[in-house]
Amino acid sequence: MTQNADHVLDHFELFRGPEYQQMLANKKKMFENPRDPAEVERIREWAKTPEYREKNFAREALTVNPAKACQPLGAVFAAVGFEATLPFVHGSQGCVAYYRSHLSRHFKEPSSCVSSSMTEDAAVFGGLNNMIDGLANTYSMYKPKMIAVSTTCMAEVIGDDLNAFIKTSKEKGSVPAEFDVPFAHTPAFVGSHVTGYDNALKGILEHFWDGKAGTAPKLERQPNDKVNVIGGFDGYTVGNTREIRRILNLMGIEHTILADNSEVFDTPTDGEFRMYDGGTTLEDAANAIHAKATVSMQQYCTEKTLPFIAAHGQEVVGLNHPVGVSGTDEFIMALSRITGKEIPEELSRERGRLVDAMADSSAHIHGKKFAIYGDPDLCLGLAGFLLELGAEPTHVLATNGTKQWAEKVQALFDSSPFGQNCHVYPGKDLWHMRSLLFTEPVDFLIGNTYGKYLERDTGTPLIRIGFPIFDRHHHHRYPVWGYQGGMNVLVWILDKIFDEIDKNTNVPAKTDYSFDIIR
Amino acid sequence: MSSLSATIQDVFNEPGCGKNANKSEAERKKGCTKQLQPGGAAGGCAFDGAKIALQPLTDVAHLVHGPIACEGNSWDNRGARSSGSNIWRTGFTTDINETDVVFGGEKRLYKAVKEIIEKYNPPAVFVYQTCVPAMIGDDINAVCKAASQKFGKPVIPVNSPGFVGPKNLGNKLAGEALLEHVIGTEEPDFTTPYDLNIIGEYNLSGELWQVKPLLDELGIRILSCISGDGKYREVAYSHRAKAAMMVCSKAMINVARKMEERYGIPFFEGSFYGIEDSSDSLREIARLLIERGAPDELMARTEAVIAREEAKAWAAIEPYKPRFKGKKVLLITGGVKSWSVVAALQEAGLELVGTSVKKSTKEDKERIKELMGQDAHMIDDMTPREMYKMMKDAKADIMLSGGKSQFVALKAGMPWLDINQERSHAYMGYVGMVKLVQEIDKALYNPMWQQLRQPAPWENSARNWQARAMAQMDAEAAALAADPQAAEQARRAKKICHCKTVDLGTIEDAIAAHALTTTDGVKQHTNASGGCGACAGRIEDILAALPATVASAIPVLQAAE
Repeated sequence: MTQNADHVLDHFELFRGPEYQQMLANKKKMFENPRDPAEVERIREWAKTPEYREKNFAREALTVNPAKACQPLGAVFAAVGFEATLPFVHGSQGCVAYYRSHLSRHFKEPSSCVSSSMTEDAAVFGGLNNMIDGLANTYSMYKPKMIAVSTTCMAEVIGDDLNAFIKTSKEKGSVPAEFDVPFAHTPAFVGSHVTGYDNALKGILEHFWDGKAGTAPKLERQPNDKVNVIGGFDGYTVGNTREIRRILNLMGIEHTILADNSEVFDTPTDGEFRMYDGGTTLEDAANAIHAKATVSMQQYCTEKTLPFIAAHGQEVVGLNHPVGVSGTDEFIMALSRITGKEIPEELSRERGRLVDAMADSSAHIHGKKFAIYGDPDLCLGLAGFLLELGAEPTHVLATNGTKQWAEKVQALFDSSPFGQNCHVYPGKDLWHMRSLLFTEPVDFLIGNTYGKYLERDTGTPLIRIGFPIFDRHHHHRYPVWGYQGGMNVLVWILDKIFDEIDKNTNVPAKTDYSFDIIR
Repeated sequence: MSSLSATIQDVFNEPGCGKNANKSEAERKKGCTKQLQPGGAAGGCAFDGAKIALQPLTDVAHLVHGPIACEGNSWDNRGARSSGSNIWRTGFTTDINETDVVFGGEKRLYKAVKEIIEKYNPPAVFVYQTCVPAMIGDDINAVCKAASQKFGKPVIPVNSPGFVGPKNLGNKLAGEALLEHVIGTEEPDFTTPYDLNIIGEYNLSGELWQVKPLLDELGIRILSCISGDGKYREVAYSHRAKAAMMVCSKAMINVARKMEERYGIPFFEGSFYGIEDSSDSLREIARLLIERGAPDELMARTEAVIAREEAKAWAAIEPYKPRFKGKKVLLITGGVKSWSVVAALQEAGLELVGTSVKKSTKEDKERIKELMGQDAHMIDDMTPREMYKMMKDAKADIMLSGGKSQFVALKAGMPWLDINQERSHAYMGYVGMVKLVQEIDKALYNPMWQQLRQPAPWENSARNWQARAMAQMDAEAAALAADPQAAEQARRAKKICHCKTVDLGTIEDAIAAHALTTTDGVKQHTNASGGCGACAGRIEDILAALPATVASAIPVLQAAE
């Protein structure tokens, strides 16, 4: 049956029809120089062998299926966390479309961001005019309170000087002289999206604290009792930020959440489109200099920001995406130590509930092997939680992980008997992971949506935790931090484990003697 | 067809039950049902007991006649395993409504049976009576009889409505239903001298299948298992077995005993929990079969299998010894025979600091003393507070128990391993014991317990509720220690008989005043054990202990060492 207007088939069904199948088979036969299916099968099997793995790991130049994105994505993510701020990416508009779609597809929300739309002549003559026109148009069309500038590779390769360009633009009247235009150089050929987050956040803080690019006096720190919290690049920012704020309020800690994008990535449907929503106010961003301390939930997202803040006289604490009991203990005790505030009974009870849930179910997780990939901090947080549960994070891989990160993961492995046979893979990609899963199989894989190919090819069940998650909706609304967040992660892991048990026991009259309703 | 009350009376008279045999006429009449204490947190009802006893019969439709409560809350809730049909897992109920309550539910029941037979055509339909239809007077026996005649298919009434008593009574009533309507109604295609019945075994987690290969190897045929992985026809011709093994001691004793009476099938009570028990059971099976005409050489083959399996199991347990060194276990076993498991765990290098003897017989207790020494903590009824104290004093690294104690253990921060019915691992037979040791090892070394046992790092551990409870206990103990009079008072105030609320002092006084030497004597004078009779064991202990304390404690202790 071909497509027909009375009963329109979607792509799941349509191309399974005989005429399409016939057409595809013919095309393959006549135009695609088909290989002997046996040979194809032989290669497929060979790609699962240790021999292939060795060749795979000998790759020097080629990256296959990377588990990282580029700096400006992180810069945009950080920028939208400030009040009425429009991220402005100086460079080609195509890149910007990627950031917007990436964020939209994950958060199921519009993602506003503009570019200076550099073209070939801009590449030759420099992008100054694009900056001048771009800032002027952005300012007049979208009426932001702040424009946070970052760059794509194109601008970086030709060496555009953002500081000078912005100054010139202001002189030419693109935006008022006192209008806030912080900036950060964020070339994709250095680091990853977590680096871009770091650079952009540091650029914004630098702008407010260190004299707005020479146009205002530097702020003088007058210490108060507030605490700043930085979430870092985090696919769970909606749920996590709210959870962190709840914890801070429970403890009675005055705080500023820097780059708080939890509202803009979760605006209500009530008849009004909000291009901007929530976010750290510009005043708070400036006043954050006076805080007693800054806690970063993700050390590797704030490698430059934290030292910058420390240099202004604050205590800084860098955590690694804490998940689970010990990780959350560390976070909460740090808050308590810094502020002298007692940890309220409510949090003790939440802790007890998480421990209780772990005790109820740990037998199912205990001794299971996991492969994890994702951003460096996420990997550390999840691996820590798994070790706490008696699972083995056998393969831990971060394409954007550094050698120092790998050492930290190794130290984590060394701290537990369950880490003895685990390995860390910095700078590797998902094709490496594929070989790992074939040659050293594990029970479960934890990663983002892209892991579904690994799940399909290697048969390793995928637990979706990370960024981006495109093919499952709304998980970003749940926290993974705090004791309640730990509970969510525990449940996601358990759900998959039980789904697998069911899947393995559901063949009628064959395996279903164990298809039980009580697990 | 006997009435329900007559059947119940008959069950109470069960001479095969050791406890029953020791009772007076009046007590027997009262029955072994401990009247449930209003306001108490009770266990399952007789309906539940009947249902779980028969539900593992895999190829019959189990139809519950009653409102949605009975089946709606319980269908497919047992981890029995079937090697064939899965119809036992389908939840069939008449789900009666208000109109049925007013006008009677018999027609609906009849129709439901008809629909089951039309749609599923199982070899038999079991119909379970529940409280409401029993109260409104639905006669399920009559309906089943009519349906059976009409459809030419066995429709078996299981008359065990919830209100008649507790779960255990339901188990027995289920057995009565089989005896009355099923057993002996069909003939096997052939018989062998090696045909065995296993009674009271439910194949939970597929445990029976861990033992079956050994029986297969010996050429012993399980003619019928009642009811684990059982089929209707197998039960129907089970009367042709040569011998029977009675598992799970008291649940279906009436079935085993009456089959001996009616069909001359000798039985023994045995268990496949623990290595030694498994071997004893295999030996006993061989002995009974030989007695009934199987060739003598069966025993030699059985011994060979036992020797091989024991060696294999001990060898598999050996590597755990270093890991278990210094690890202490508290064992609350419920239905599992304590001492048998005790022996295996000790062999694995674990130190047992206590074990429950709630369901153990006197011989079991003796055996435990033998194994664990005179100082063994034999726990009758342990309060959560005592349990916690025991753990807190580092007397146990882990508790092995049934699901009932799970939450107490976990909330009190105690590592715990499930060894009763609802577990997902099978611990039966030689491999089962190895599996148990493996699971204990996993549980002992699970890092999660660290989190469980430690309070939140910011918590002042001197101030939390556990600490307060302990302090209170210590304070009470100290107060008693300082005041011998109060201590004596507290000792004497210990409840021995819960039904009749008789304390230790009253019993001791009665013994002293009347020079009593038997539990019956104590009962006459104090009314203790006049209720459920469960405290008879405790009274025996008191009687046994008294002269010793009167004479001199020291020589006795030395003798024990």
